[in-house]
Amino acid sequence: MHEKEIAGKIGRKTGMKVDITRKRRMSVRTDSRGLREFCVCAKELGFGHLSAVSVTDFIGEGEYEILYFLWSYQDGLALTVKTRIGREEPSIDSVSDIWGEAQIHERELHELFGVEFVGNADLSELFLEGWNQTPPFRKDFDWREYVRSRYYRNEGRERGYFEVEK
Amino acid sequence: MEDAKKLKRLVKSVWVFNWFNSCGFTEILPVVGSRWDMERFGMIPVASPRHADCLIIAGYQTEKSIRRAQRIYRQMPKPAVVIGLGSCSMSGGMYWDSYNTIKRLSDYIPVDLYIPGCPPRPEAILKGIMSIFREVEDHA
Repeated sequence: MHEKEIAGKIGRKTGMKVDITRKRRMSVRTDSRGLREFCVCAKELGFGHLSAVSVTDFIGEGEYEILYFLWSYQDGLALTVKTRIGREEPSIDSVSDIWGEAQIHERELHELFGVEFVGNADLSELFLEGWNQTPPFRKDFDWREYVRSRYYRNEGRERGYFEVEK
Repeated sequence: MEDAKKLKRLVKSVWVFNWFNSCGFTEILPVVGSRWDMERFGMIPVASPRHADCLIIAGYQTEKSIRRAQRIYRQMPKPAVVIGLGSCSMSGGMYWDSYNTIKRLSDYIPVDLYIPGCPPRPEAILKGIMSIFREVEDHA
């Protein structure tokens, strides 16, 4: 199937508008509450592979954008599902029961952005052990100050690195 | 030649345990391979830290991996030599402002020797190895 057919099919089935960004690349913007329903439909239409999940921090708008990158082996099409949630106490339904590979992505994003994926079985820490700060990929996390106080508090030499920056 | 004579008097071979979780292994690979060949000096990478005399830690360590490195070091029979390989182990290298990598290995583990370079030349690594041999001789 071509992207136009698939886009039409998804549109008829879910009522969402699918943008064709370029050849064989599509994106769709969905409500965070309708996400799971949409994902089930997408999987039925052949998008059996979830390549990645990512979060973008739009701090000015007070929102996180969560992106799900889907791939259809049978049609050779990529579909990006975009959804937005508030960035204070972010929480969204997990899709790990739809695509098992989502589990590790969601676990990582929980660690780096603090997003609570409701329904994910294991959101324990992955790379950061005993992290008690703001999740490090949030834009309001002052990593420069953190690094300075954590590693360079007694150093004269390395302090120079930071002063050059300004 | 002088060095070769000294090597004959060595009391034992120095076995190495490698703890690499960054680009480090690719840097030491020429020394393990046939061209520079550290095995001719009796240096063999071993599978367990409990058999090792020397621990080579290459590159940056994350907050998570340094705890494993400390655990490995505790398992090694003493005396043990610890080598920090590459710039990252000395200063954090290009990760000097990362929130999750340690900056100086010797703040966490007693390091006997740093081999600088990004990557260190095999000759530099051999020179470092030679200084271990001297160290072993002095204590023999």
